Amino acid sequence: MQHFTHQLELFPDCSVTLVLFNDVKNAVALRKKAMEGSIDGALINPAMIVDPLQILVATNKAVHLHRIGKMKTRTLNAEIIFNLSPNNNISDALKKFGISDNDSAVLIVLIEDKEKTVNLESIISQVEGQQVSLAELHKITDIAKVKKMYRLTPQEEKIGTLLDGIICRMSTKDIA
Amino acid sequence: MAGGAGEAGARAVSPPPLRGLQLVQQGAEARLYRGQFLGRAAVVKLRFPKRYRHPALEERLSRRRTAQEARSLLRCRRAGISAPVVYFVDYVSNCIYLEDIVESTTVRDYITSVQQSGKDTNNLFLLAEKIGEVLARMHDEDLIHGDLTTSNMLLRPPVEELDLVLIDFGLSFMSGLPEDKGVDLYVLERAFLSTHPNTDTLFEALLKKYSTTSKKSSLVIKKLDEVRLRGRKRSMVG
Repeated sequence: MQHFTHQLELFPDCSVTLVLFNDVKNAVALRKKAMEGSIDGALINPAMIVDPLQILVATNKAVHLHRIGKMKTRTLNAEIIFNLSPNNNISDALKKFGISDNDSAVLIVLIEDKEKTVNLESIISQVEGQQVSLAELHKITDIAKVKKMYRLTPQEEKIGTLLDGIICRMSTKDIA
Repeated sequence: MAGGAGEAGARAVSPPPLRGLQLVQQGAEARLYRGQFLGRAAVVKLRFPKRYRHPALEERLSRRRTAQEARSLLRCRRAGISAPVVYFVDYVSNCIYLEDIVESTTVRDYITSVQQSGKDTNNLFLLAEKIGEVLARMHDEDLIHGDLTTSNMLLRPPVEELDLVLIDFGLSFMSGLPEDKGVDLYVLERAFLSTHPNTDTLFEALLKKYSTTSKKSSLVIKKLDEVRLRGRKRSMVG
């Protein structure tokens, strides 16, 4: 099945893999595993994601800050989720962009670099759900919820896509 | 291609952390690179350290200008003014990773080519009005560009659509003062008229559209008139 991998240009030893699941039955258990660390990945609510680029932008920033020791959160995975948010409230970000107990769709972001390899099969086997291609993401995205979260202005929608507005907010929120 | 290409004769600076990107331009303030970033065509603006500055000042100034530029780009977009999308800001090396407006033409090149060919000169008036309109909206947001020239305005392809994108907000700042807005327009006027001969009427059309679009324009134009009198080689008598 189609997962999505991208090697970060600024950190060539680092590659990001996105895996999407639908009809997930064990969100509660997955959340627990992620918090304990037995799943070393960021578990994201795919309803809030409009495009893999959104995740890549969040991840790139997270890896950058991690490498210079300036993350706002405690772990790389939490930092990825936090970077998706247009504001600087950490717990709000984790709540809105992380997965909830009754979510049926989950997007897992896995980072691999010199120090860490990823066992994709092992991760997939722990999810009680159907792995689907990232191409199916648009069917899962809740556009209304996304628009409400990122609060694009009507003028902004005229000069660019929703994704453009989202990325701008993500990348400039620390100095906006 | 390494970012070092084309830097023959330049002072030795620390190797740019931008592998696989092509150096496009070396300015006094920053270097511009082009390449792929996260799967998108991107432009990277690197404010390199100026050795002649005191290090403490250098750090603060570069960071402030980088942050200011990113902030202004966001403000523009929120107000519906076309400016590049910001993908990533690196406050360690003071780099901004921006959307590359692919195959764009600068307004400068467009005006020059239309004047040379003599075709579609009417489009130039429409363009002037478009610029006036965009600047009015920008100033109404109390955003001062700081370096308005026709090289800092791009047209997305196809050029005839006059889809204008403002770039290079490195010297931008927020201000509600008519004086600052007047100076912003004056900078453009000087750049415009010196770069493009016989364009007085064009610029007039630009200012006219600015006046009708901006709610606060009359004070700004008044200040522009005052600034003109103050300019270089002007008598300050009376």
